[in-house]
Amino acid sequence: MRELDKEVRDLDERILHFIGKGIDNQDEKTFNQLALEIFELQVKWIPLYRRYCEKRGILPEKISSWEEIPALPTDAFKVAELAMFPSQIVRTFLTSGTTRPEERGKVHYDEGGLRLMDGTIQTAAASFLFPDGMKTKILIIAPSPEIAPSMIMAYGMNRLREFFGLPQSGFLVTEKGFEVETLVRELRSSENEGIPVTICGGSFGFVNFFDYCHERGLRFKLPVGSRTLDAGGFKGRSREVKREDFVRECEEILGIRTEYSINLLGMTEIGSQFYDSTLRNFYQGLSLPVAKVNPPWTRTVVVDPENLKPLPEGETGLLKHYDLANRGHILAIQTDDLGRRTPEGFEVFGRSKDEATRGCSLTIDEMTRIERGR
Amino acid sequence: MELLELEAYRVPSRFKDWIRILRTTIYEDGPTRIHLKIPTVDPIFIQSLTRYLKEKRKSYLADLPIETIVHVLDEASRRWLDQNYPLRRLALKVIPQITGFSQEVVAASIDAEMESSLREDLWRALSLEIGDPLFLNDFQYSPLLGGYSRAFGPELMVSIFSENIPALPHLLFMRSALIKSACLGKVAAGEPTFAPLYLKTIEEIDPEMAECMAVLYWQGGTTEIESILFEEADAVVLFGGVETCKALLEKVPRNVKTVVHGHRLGFGVIGQQNMKRQKLERLAEAVALDCSMFDQQACLAPHLYYLEEGGEVGPKEFCEAVAAAMERLNQKMPRGRLTAHEASTIHQLRASYELREIKGEEVRVLASPSGTDWTVVYERDPGVFSPSPLNRFIRFYGVEDIFQIPSSLKSVGPFLQNAAVAIGDRREKEFIKVLGELGVSRITSPGKMALPSMMWHHDGISPLASLLRWCDVEKKEDF
Repeated sequence: MRELDKEVRDLDERILHFIGKGIDNQDEKTFNQLALEIFELQVKWIPLYRRYCEKRGILPEKISSWEEIPALPTDAFKVAELAMFPSQIVRTFLTSGTTRPEERGKVHYDEGGLRLMDGTIQTAAASFLFPDGMKTKILIIAPSPEIAPSMIMAYGMNRLREFFGLPQSGFLVTEKGFEVETLVRELRSSENEGIPVTICGGSFGFVNFFDYCHERGLRFKLPVGSRTLDAGGFKGRSREVKREDFVRECEEILGIRTEYSINLLGMTEIGSQFYDSTLRNFYQGLSLPVAKVNPPWTRTVVVDPENLKPLPEGETGLLKHYDLANRGHILAIQTDDLGRRTPEGFEVFGRSKDEATRGCSLTIDEMTRIERGR
Repeated sequence: MELLELEAYRVPSRFKDWIRILRTTIYEDGPTRIHLKIPTVDPIFIQSLTRYLKEKRKSYLADLPIETIVHVLDEASRRWLDQNYPLRRLALKVIPQITGFSQEVVAASIDAEMESSLREDLWRALSLEIGDPLFLNDFQYSPLLGGYSRAFGPELMVSIFSENIPALPHLLFMRSALIKSACLGKVAAGEPTFAPLYLKTIEEIDPEMAECMAVLYWQGGTTEIESILFEEADAVVLFGGVETCKALLEKVPRNVKTVVHGHRLGFGVIGQQNMKRQKLERLAEAVALDCSMFDQQACLAPHLYYLEEGGEVGPKEFCEAVAAAMERLNQKMPRGRLTAHEASTIHQLRASYELREIKGEEVRVLASPSGTDWTVVYERDPGVFSPSPLNRFIRFYGVEDIFQIPSSLKSVGPFLQNAAVAIGDRREKEFIKVLGELGVSRITSPGKMALPSMMWHHDGISPLASLLRWCDVEKKEDF
C-alpha cells in the first residue's frame, strides 16, 4: 500500500506540475502520457471500470492515445462507487440530479484528487477570471461548503474565495436562503469604497437577483474591474435567460462591462472547469468569438448521439470530456450535454431535452414533471 | 433531387384561395426535398370555416344514409391498403423524412390502422356502441323503450392531435363521419401530412363529404384561435400530454362535450405456463413486435414486460430470445432516427444497467450491436413501474408470482391502458379482473398490442356513443 501511495503521489505531482504550467501549455505528448498512466491505474484499481473496459476490448496495453480511453456515461455514478481508493475518500460530491432528484450520482475524491482539483481552480481562474491579477471582494451566490458539503460548486467557489478574494469576501446563501439584502448592502459599500467585486454563483441565483432589482428599481455602478461568474444554468429555478440577455442585465443592473461577465461549465463528475474565453481575450486585446476553452490538462470531444463516434468541428452532438484532474475516479466522462466544437474551443447548449412530443405514450420526462407537480 | 410540395392543411374548396402561407418548412436531409406549406390561421378565418362546415353538414352529411358513409370510409381504407395507391406512396416518401420513422415502420402503421377500418369493423363498432346503426338515419322503433329513438351527432367536432403517430388522425375523421358530424382537426407539428392526404382520399370518393372536413395547423396554445374554435364546436376530442390537455380544456366552454385521450402506458405479463421452450421463439417474436411497432412511441406500446419465474424457460433465457427477435425485426423494419436526447437517454440508461450487471446484481443488458437500435434489459421486479425511454428499449421484470404485479401498477393507475396478458393457466381470469379494476382498458395477447380493433372502447370510453345525443319518442296517448 505504501508503495502504491508513492506511485500515485508521484503521478499526482506530475499532473500538478503539468497543470501548473498554465493554460498556454501545448505539450500534447505529456498530456497523452499522463492520461494513459491515469487510465492504467484506474483500470487496475477500479474493478467495475476494468470490466467495463474489458467488455469493450480496450485495455491499457492495447492503446497508445488518450482518445481511445473508454468514457463512462455520467449516469454510471448513480449506480456504482467509482473511486480509485475507496478507503481514502475524503470528500464525496453529489450530482444535482436534474431529471430524477432521488437518483443522485456520487463522485468521490481522495486527498490527492482534491489537490488536483484545487490546482485546476487556481490555474484556470488566474487565466480566465483574473487575467489582470486583480484582487476583488468575492460575493458568492451559493452556500458555503459547511452548509452544503456535497455540492461541488460550493467547494470550488470557496477555493476561489481563498485563492483570489479580499478579506471581506463571503457566501450569500445561508440556512435561511439567499440573503439578497446582504448582497445589496455589500454592492452599495463596494460602490462607495471603490472596491471591485466578483459576484459568482448559480446562474439562476443571478436571474432571481435581477428580478429582485427590477421590482425595486435597483441599479448599481460597480467599480471598474468588477465581474460576474455564473455556472449551472437555470434548472427551472428562475426564468430562462439567453446568454446575451444575461450579459446585458449584468451591464444594466450592475454596471459591469459585457466582457467581464463570464460563464463557467462545471460538473460534479469533472474536477476541472471550463470558462468562457471572454475576459481573457479582452485582456489580451483579442477579438474572437466567445467559446469555452479546454485548459491543457483537459480535452473535450463532441460525439454523435447515436453511435458516440467523434463528430467534425461545427456539428452538434454530445460532449465527452477527458480530465487529468479526475485521477481519483474516472478520467473520461460521456455527458448528456449538447454542444459543438468551434475553432476557438467549444460551445455548450445545455442538457439534451425533449424537443417535441413524439408519440402518445407517457414519457419519462412527462412522468417526472407530473410527479414533481404532485 | 425530387422536390415534393405538400400542405399542412386541407380545407373545403372555396377556402383554398383564402389561405395564405405563413411559411414553408423545408426538409432536405433525406432522399427527397420536401416543401411543407404552413398556413396562416386567424379568428375570422376560423369563424367562416366552422360555419361553412356546419352548413355543409346540415345540407349533406346529416341526411346521408349511414350505409353510404360506411361505404365511403371503407373505400378510403381500401385505397390506403393498396401498395400502388399514389397517396400512400407519397406518404411513404414524406412521413419518414419528417418524423424520422423508417419507411417500414410507417408502412406497418398505415396497414395496422387501415386494416382495422374496413366496412365490417365500422359496422360492428356502430352496432356495439349504438345497438342499431340505423338510429343514426331516422327514428327507429325501440322495443325496450316501447317507442321511437334517433341518435344525433354533434354539428361540429374539433379534434386536436399532438403527436406524430402516422395514420392516427384518420380515426377521428372516420368517427366524426360515422356520427354525421363535421370535423375540424388540428395536426401536430411532428406529423402534419397524413391527415390532409386522407381528406384528399375522401374527396376523391365523395367530394361533398370532404366539404364537411378540414385540417389545419397553428402553433398549439394560440388562445385567440382555440377559444373561437371551441366556441363554435359542440364536441372536442383532445390528444396529448397532461399539461397540453389541461391548458386546452380550460378554453373549452362547459356545454361542449369533451373526450380526452391523454398519454398512456402499456405493459405485458407472461405467466410461467407460457415460459416454455416449445413456444419460446414464437412468443419472443410477438413480444419484439409489440416493442417495435411505431418504434414503441404509441400509447399502445409496452414500457415493460413482466415474466413469471419458475417456468421451463427462465426470464434471462427468454430475454435472449427476445433480443434475437428484436435484431431480426430491426433488419426487416429498422428503428427510426432519434433526437439527441432520446439517444443520449438510452446510452446513459444502458450504462447504468451495465454497471449494475458488472457489479454482480441480477441484471442483464442485451443491446443492438451498433447504435441505440434496440435494448433489452432484465432485472428482478424492483416493485416500481419505470417508464421506458421508448424507441425499442424494453425492460423485463422477473416476478415470483404474477399477483405481485398489481401493487406496483397502482401508482401509474390513471395512465394504464393496454396490456398483453399470457398467463397460460386458470389464474388468467382472476388476473384480468384485477387489471380491469386498476384501470387497464384493453387486454390482448403478446404480438397484438399495436392492433386494437375498431370496436375497442378507446381508453375505456365509447368513442362514438359518448358524442351522441338521443331523442326518444315516448308517446302512447292518442293525442
